[in-house]
Amino acid sequence: MLDFRSIRFSFPGRREQVEVLRDVTFSCREDEIVAVVGPSGCGKSTLLSLATGLRTPTAGEVLVGGQAVHGQDSRLGMLFQQTTLLPWRSVVENVELGLEIRGEPRGARRSKALALMKQYGLAGFERKYPHALSGGMQKRAALAQTLAMEPKVLLLDEPFAALDAQTRVVIQNDVVKICRAGKRTMLIVTHDIAEAISMADRVVVLSRRPATIKEIFEIPFSRGAVSVADVPSMTEFATYFKRIWDALDISITGMGAAA
Amino acid sequence: MNAGTLHTVLVNLGRAAVLLVILVGTELGVRYGVMSQLFFSSPSEIFEALRTQLGQGTFLPNVGITVFETLLGLVAGSLAGMAVGLLLPQMRILSHVFEPFLMVLNGIPVIVIAPLFILWLGLGILSKIGISVYIVFFAMFIPVYTASLRLETTFVDALRVMGASRSQIFWKVVVPSSLASVYTGLKIGSGLALIGAVIGEFVASRSGLGHMILYASGTLDTPGLYLGIITLAVFAAVLSFAIDAIGPLLVRWRFADEK
Repeated sequence: MLDFRSIRFSFPGRREQVEVLRDVTFSCREDEIVAVVGPSGCGKSTLLSLATGLRTPTAGEVLVGGQAVHGQDSRLGMLFQQTTLLPWRSVVENVELGLEIRGEPRGARRSKALALMKQYGLAGFERKYPHALSGGMQKRAALAQTLAMEPKVLLLDEPFAALDAQTRVVIQNDVVKICRAGKRTMLIVTHDIAEAISMADRVVVLSRRPATIKEIFEIPFSRGAVSVADVPSMTEFATYFKRIWDALDISITGMGAAA
Repeated sequence: MNAGTLHTVLVNLGRAAVLLVILVGTELGVRYGVMSQLFFSSPSEIFEALRTQLGQGTFLPNVGITVFETLLGLVAGSLAGMAVGLLLPQMRILSHVFEPFLMVLNGIPVIVIAPLFILWLGLGILSKIGISVYIVFFAMFIPVYTASLRLETTFVDALRVMGASRSQIFWKVVVPSSLASVYTGLKIGSGLALIGAVIGEFVASRSGLGHMILYASGTLDTPGLYLGIITLAVFAAVLSFAIDAIGPLLVRWRFADEK
């Protein structure tokens, strides 16, 4: 459904080209959740901006449903790390923003937005402004905004990093359920290994910059879990956590190591 | 009576007392020769000057002319400042070309620019409106321009991913996010609009409050001088109250849900 083929990406630095991605190839099947983990600053978020057409790869191509992506593609939806709800629009006006951009008539987009808000537990907050919502509800509203456009592929860029631990698990679970129910493809970029294992069917580990794929792990048990919250207590979880951690190759020296 | 209302009552009583002391003090001081009539005027003398000028039919036209110049200068200067401040950052090369010129123009004290406007636009109200527009333009342009340059890129990215065109991004993100700066510009501009009009009248004029003040000063008409200054102060205060009442409507969302 979503293919990254021999992706290279570099940008001009102060002295020389900064190479961010070096030959990254992997694909996400339909109805599959894939997580990308990697060391900080390795270029995992760049992958998403290449898929959404915000950036263009230096070499290689991104395909959606077999067709190369040129610029913006309505089959892709994205959930950002920071809030993207416009503070001067009420929550319902934010949820319908994508449909408004697409040119859907006022009545149709409003009723679609209201229905989605009800479904995602945002009823009663339609006329509020985003700053009146909790972090978790803002995320849900942003998700409703993205899903209102009915994308085939959902891209998530460290979307839950700013949430508190409990809210994060609840929202992770919601996102997985919504995604599975709609048979959507989902690509989530995260630095949180537990999040990757709990949500994804496969975990792609990137190396340090210039990033290449270090290893891809199949996570056979996450799909069977009743909820995302159950995954960390499964026996296989610790094994995979350790294997992914080792693949990331992050050295822990830090305090006391020198003494 | 709770502490809050007691506070308000005390503040208002205090303000009334200060005003009363000034009015009674100058009235008695001037009447009994403690304060020289050349330098000070009693409230009753100023009131008498007002009655005389109203009788001669010069007061209201003078006030009207300055009010007209100020309001027109404020509206036209603000609209021009907004338009350039919003559009210039959209064209990066033009913006880099014009930035230093605009900053240098902004640095010239308005008092030395005023004679040029008199030269170009004559002794009538047009030159005063011109000067007013000139300084209001910069009061509006600078905050709006700075805000458009520091636009939240996540908002722009989110809209681009949703497939928004450049003009959709302009109207749905750039313009609304500048409204807080428009409010700032209006606040500063409303004071400067009046300064511009009066400076123009000071340099060369046949009517207006500035002319009235200059004339009173030239003929050693101390009560007339005070009348002009007080009228100007009252108009400035009314204008500032009006902006404070209208301005928050521009950023309504900021004040919502806070009660």
